Amino acid sequence: MKALMSLGALVGVVGLLLLAGMIFDVIPSNTIRLVEGYMPMQMLFEVGCYVLGFTGLSYMLNAMGMGIPRFWQGIGFWIFFLLYIKYRVYPPIPFSVRAMYGTVGLVAVLMWVSANEEDWKKFKQPILNVLDAQTGFNKVLRYVYLVALPILTWGFSYNAMMPKSEEPIELRTVHPAPPASTKVHGKTYVLQTSLNPYRVNPEGKYDQEYSNSLIVEQGMGRLMKPNANPWDEKAEGYLKYVREGGEIFFQNCHFCHGDNLNGRGLHAFAFNPIPANFTDPGTIAQLQETFIFWRVAKGGIGLPNEGFPWASVMPPWEQHLTVDEMWKVILFEYWHTGYYPRTWD
Amino acid sequence: MGVVTRKKLFSIIALGAMVVALLLPIVMALPSPATGEEAPAAEGAQKEGEKVEKARDVYYKTEGIVVGAPAPKTTDGPADYPRYNFESRVLLWFANQQHLYYGSFVLAVPIFCMIIEFMGVVTKDKALAKRYDQLAYDFIKISLTAYSLTAILGGILIFTFLTLYPTFFSYLSSIFRPVMHIYALMFVAESGTLYIYYYGWDKMKEGFLKWIHLSMSVILNVIGTLLMFLANSWIGFMMSPAGVDEQGRYLGNIWHVIHTALWNPLNLHRILGNMAFGGGVVAAYAAYKFLAAKTDEERAHYDWMGYIAMALGVAFLIPLPFAGYWLMREVYAYRQQMGITLMGGLLAWLFIIQATMIGILFLSTNYYLWQAMGRMRGAEKYQRYIKYLVFLLACGFMVFITPHTMVMTPAELKAMGGQQHPVLGNYGVMSAKNGGINVIITTTVLSFVWYMRGNKISTVSWARFGNIFMGVFFACAYINIIFLAIYGYYIPANVRVGLSVPQVATTLSCLFFMFTLNSMMMKGAKQLGPIEWGKISARSQYALIMLATAFTWMMGLMGYIRSSVRLFWHVNEIMRDNSPWAYTHTVGFAANVISANVLFFWISILFVFWLGSLTAKKAPVEAKVGVPGAIPQPAGSH
Repeated sequence: MKALMSLGALVGVVGLLLLAGMIFDVIPSNTIRLVEGYMPMQMLFEVGCYVLGFTGLSYMLNAMGMGIPRFWQGIGFWIFFLLYIKYRVYPPIPFSVRAMYGTVGLVAVLMWVSANEEDWKKFKQPILNVLDAQTGFNKVLRYVYLVALPILTWGFSYNAMMPKSEEPIELRTVHPAPPASTKVHGKTYVLQTSLNPYRVNPEGKYDQEYSNSLIVEQGMGRLMKPNANPWDEKAEGYLKYVREGGEIFFQNCHFCHGDNLNGRGLHAFAFNPIPANFTDPGTIAQLQETFIFWRVAKGGIGLPNEGFPWASVMPPWEQHLTVDEMWKVILFEYWHTGYYPRTWD
Repeated sequence: MGVVTRKKLFSIIALGAMVVALLLPIVMALPSPATGEEAPAAEGAQKEGEKVEKARDVYYKTEGIVVGAPAPKTTDGPADYPRYNFESRVLLWFANQQHLYYGSFVLAVPIFCMIIEFMGVVTKDKALAKRYDQLAYDFIKISLTAYSLTAILGGILIFTFLTLYPTFFSYLSSIFRPVMHIYALMFVAESGTLYIYYYGWDKMKEGFLKWIHLSMSVILNVIGTLLMFLANSWIGFMMSPAGVDEQGRYLGNIWHVIHTALWNPLNLHRILGNMAFGGGVVAAYAAYKFLAAKTDEERAHYDWMGYIAMALGVAFLIPLPFAGYWLMREVYAYRQQMGITLMGGLLAWLFIIQATMIGILFLSTNYYLWQAMGRMRGAEKYQRYIKYLVFLLACGFMVFITPHTMVMTPAELKAMGGQQHPVLGNYGVMSAKNGGINVIITTTVLSFVWYMRGNKISTVSWARFGNIFMGVFFACAYINIIFLAIYGYYIPANVRVGLSVPQVATTLSCLFFMFTLNSMMMKGAKQLGPIEWGKISARSQYALIMLATAFTWMMGLMGYIRSSVRLFWHVNEIMRDNSPWAYTHTVGFAANVISANVLFFWISILFVFWLGSLTAKKAPVEAKVGVPGAIPQPAGSH
């Protein structure tokens, strides 16, 4: 048990040192990389390791008679967590989310320190000591608080009320609800029931199962399946349409959406936000094909009211492409990213 | 003996009267040629030669004879939208929400009464049976005053509709005309049954009469549930109309009008929601009484009452997210755009707030259970592990509340390099959120298991094996839930949706198997000490109040979301809202109105509690037991 706790303590100390290095910019925050594809779990795993490390550290310090009071354990852990989400995770997390996480962290710490009567007493004792002010030190501390707290409150209020020249916060709806139907080149398409006419099997019938079997493989490299190369001159049917879609994509779309469809094209960083990253599981992977058709056809200008502030510069492609070309380019996007369009069955 | 027989006779007559009251609306609803009313088909036959217009049902796609007028095309003016110098929609919102709060409460509490009274009847321990009976009586006493208030609020709601939205209300009434009187009669039946049930409590407290009394509670709840189903059919029709043609003309089939695409999921969701809400309110009542209690006996009683109410509320809270999931699935199936507006579009931010409230509910429950372990000797052994449960809950909670689209300044957006955060963006999609909530629920189940075995040591020969099995089962459950949440990223969205099934199954397996196994292991277990009712921290009671407040706030929020999803329609795609308020409020404004509703409800229900305490004060106080750990006795009696 002691050996295990010692190991935990070691993990805790090393982790703290690493974080301190990242905060003071001694160690770049990508020294221990967040591995693409595994980052969300890695972050939780790291925090879990820290928790175990701190448990070991606390155990060892107690054994050495140098135990940290529960009050400072709680406060310390919360501060650690705030620093972790600010300095460890890259790219930086927006303040609104850090505020949410910080609040959850605070609630969790309070739940922990007040889970039983004994711990709760230990936690609140330093606060009560200052309030009671039985010793000279506590008396001074109480006076400090008496002066500091109103100043802090004043400072926060001043900061909150002071007019700012920062850009306002945007509550953007990335995927606004589509209309029930959309009219493109004079024809009405019902979004719930319309199908991509090029998603067909060798018999020429709509077959998503068939097309799904020919898309690139998910995972590292996004490799083409054997005998499913759209650029093979002999490719027919679905694969031929994918190739045609690809040609259209590289003639029109890749300047913004990138040659890897990850939203990092030549012009991408001229825009804010940058164009949609189709390889992200939160974009085309969770939308119906007809939703994409509507967005491509109508562009940023065709976003509904709830798409405020309409932060999209995508042109309405119906003015530049035919209906068939739009369907084919969508076919290519799904094929290339290895995702399937969303269906409801 | 003669008195008993007479009582039996009266009780059977009362029960019979309730059954008749229950069946009366149905009998009244049957078309009767004797009264001159004829079915539309017969009418059609009678007026031979006259042209019968037929139209197609917008949802069922069946043909029917047009028997109603088209939905009115309203215009903004005093004829269709008379108003005061205030936003009519907010007034209606307020009236509706208050009626719903009280309606939910008075429908839920009798179900609790039924369960607790039944537990009292079947319990062999007489002292315990008496406690259950007293508790059930306390519950119904609270709901009785609330019942009158519900009726008053229902009246206010109808007047608000008639005053502010007369054209819309008259259209809706014309559609539901065939069942309007059933609704009214159901309400009369509910009132009569409730009063007999309440006032007959003392007279029917033993033997056969008690069973009759219990049967009355069953009938009371059947009536109440049917009443709610009927009310739900109105909102179901407004969201997903059926039984009418494209112009909104009634086609003569009332079952189609009632049985819309969303009716059944709404019914289930509301039953569970009402129960969880009712449990929360009663728990808060008990917490309030506990905090105000002056004697140990009072504290013991209200501690116990709070625990039972909380346990019942949470029992219905656990399946609630799954019922909500079904409702959303049906919404998507009905109209994709409605689903996207809710979960990915305009109202998605409100869902993040909802997720936060759900998290608070489960966190409060866990916290209460940990506090409750403090009143049993022997539970100390679990205290050191609580920090790990806190960690699991916090992780699940953070994932659950992470928004898919983050609120940020353009500078933050630029620094992030895209709309989705590469690390946290993945928490924003359903796969991760399912994992988050299932981890939270499984942890809650684990807390319950610890609570149930807190002061006991199993004496069964296979105790060691049982403990290992339980540990492994929980560990596997966590691994499975988290694995499926991650795996969800690597498969298509429609398959990913299906992954929620094994995740839910894992959580429910923990709930049922672990509770069952734990009960078997704890049968005849050695007690390390009694549960010292009343010796619980005040913090636990604040957790109960928090639980109830979160329930109330969440109900208000979800009601608003459900109603807002119709956007500018009174009846979706049938009758357009042409009032000046046919727009969606900002999140901040909606949150303020919801908070005002919650505040009003809690102030008014405190008044109801106070009224209840007046009757208790007049009643004689039964024998008190002052020994800690002994059976707690109520402060008042009936």
